[in-house]
Amino acid sequence: MSVTTDVTKDIPPHAIERLRGLRNEGHPDGIFTSDFSVNEFLLVRKSGFEPIGLCVGSCVYHVGIQYGSWGKNQELDVLSQAMYHARELAMTRMREEAAGMGADGIVGVELTVKRLEWSSDILEFIAIGTGVVHAKGHTGFKGPDGQPFTSDLSGQDFWTLLQAGYRPLEMVMGSCVYHVAHQGFFKSLGNVGRNTEMTNFSQALYDAREIAMERMQHEAIEAGAEGVVGVDLHEGSHAWQPHIIEFFAVGTAVKPISTEQDASAIPDPQLVLSVNT
Amino acid sequence: MSWIGGLFGGAGNAQADASAERMAAWEAALQSHGLPPFVEERLGAAAAGKTPWLSTMTPAELAMVRRHGIRPIAMVTGTCWYHYGYSWTRGHSEGWGAALSRVSAEAVAAGANAVDVTLRTIPLRTESSMDFTVVGTAVKIDGLPPSANPVIATVPALEFVRLLCAGIVPTGIAIGADYEFFTPYRNVTGGGLFAAWNNQPLTELSQFWEGVRRNALRELQRDAQRQGNGVLAHSHFGQLLKIERDKQPPQFLGRHIVVGTVIHTRRSATNARIDVKTVVDMRGDVSPLVSARPHGHNAFPSNEQDGPL
Repeated sequence: MSVTTDVTKDIPPHAIERLRGLRNEGHPDGIFTSDFSVNEFLLVRKSGFEPIGLCVGSCVYHVGIQYGSWGKNQELDVLSQAMYHARELAMTRMREEAAGMGADGIVGVELTVKRLEWSSDILEFIAIGTGVVHAKGHTGFKGPDGQPFTSDLSGQDFWTLLQAGYRPLEMVMGSCVYHVAHQGFFKSLGNVGRNTEMTNFSQALYDAREIAMERMQHEAIEAGAEGVVGVDLHEGSHAWQPHIIEFFAVGTAVKPISTEQDASAIPDPQLVLSVNT
Repeated sequence: MSWIGGLFGGAGNAQADASAERMAAWEAALQSHGLPPFVEERLGAAAAGKTPWLSTMTPAELAMVRRHGIRPIAMVTGTCWYHYGYSWTRGHSEGWGAALSRVSAEAVAAGANAVDVTLRTIPLRTESSMDFTVVGTAVKIDGLPPSANPVIATVPALEFVRLLCAGIVPTGIAIGADYEFFTPYRNVTGGGLFAAWNNQPLTELSQFWEGVRRNALRELQRDAQRQGNGVLAHSHFGQLLKIERDKQPPQFLGRHIVVGTVIHTRRSATNARIDVKTVVDMRGDVSPLVSARPHGHNAFPSNEQDGPL
């Protein structure tokens, strides 16, 4: 996710002032907003970070038209491009807002897609998370190119990741919208009463997942990550035709805080048993 | 987004050729029970540490496995889209079996010792068929050479490590499935002129349904025996269907499938090394101890009628 757009120039001056005010401790209105739960807030502070404000990026996107051949497995690249580009724009806008308020990173990013009721071709992509700064001004936690890091990890997971000796770099993702071929009449007829694999369907799913994973991995390489944690592979249809499915891989790219921590230095979690119930 | 132009902006024909090549590679791989060259390349590079590892683990799981000398290598998947013709139950068993053997092939290519997997399916049902997919993280254990037959387990990484610490070794996955038809000569659903008013156990139907469940569990036990001496974390799904017939009592179809992680453990071990602290959470039902934040590893809800099985 190396694309940056100069979004800050479009933000009105009074909004910039408000954002700056949020992180200014001496400012009378120096409050922060966040969507942290109490536990998240406590653990983010325990990690040495302070929340400074909720960061939002949004993109309303008109998705172009593309049809797949009825009997062919194929990627629908117009749709893949739309789904990726729109998310990228929302993420970039959220990160620009975070940079504007001087955040070191964004924790707990939620990336959602909404279909607007009045049009089947228009989707709204929203990225929302809480901007945080290192309480002692440590600058070593920034993401690639000095931009705020982004992470879909919760506050609890953020603390745990730092305990494990890693820091988040950025959310990485890969998208592939795929048309799964329909089966021909004679092939369907041949399957009646048989237990058999439908190999063209298997191939389609394999290929689409592999493409989504490859793209996510490519982003991780670009970010200079050691690995990607918390990878989730979503499959979604967004009200397209039934055989058109989006495979979306998303995770947080991480790298060791300094040098890789020795295993013995990582605290062993204590097992507890809640006796409430 | 640096790759997006290259991926999407290329000439249409070149892209179509590349897509056709990939399809041909997948077809050849599925027929030969192998992997396409580009998958082998990705997994090989991950095994050699040339590319970032990909992991479905949460940070807590990452911290836990690293603490115990286990490292993630790569995400691995196994997929089989299976048409269940003569038998829904056998079809499910064979579909999951094929997906598991394929994820195992990817784990071998990644030089793994073990994989923690989630069973899942996409919500696209067509022509009495279904997607059987397993997704997980291949890991290697420091000091061990790559395994020719990596352990596949359905337990999350946190529990995987906890089991190892307690001297219990997850060894694989077992599947048990059974389906049977029940054709009674009379009404067994409690109907009838007077019987409808009374409370009554449906003995014949109960016995039939219990038999189907027991057969599935026996098969699970047989399948587990070749790998270990216990089964944990089993997910199960069953359906008892009523088939109406013309001028005859209805027929019934019972089908049940059980999937679980096989372990090998010493009998009568007390797990003395596990130190458990009891706590009282003052916040009751909002305690994270009671309802953990979902993280995608338990995407195989058990015992739900609309579950993914």
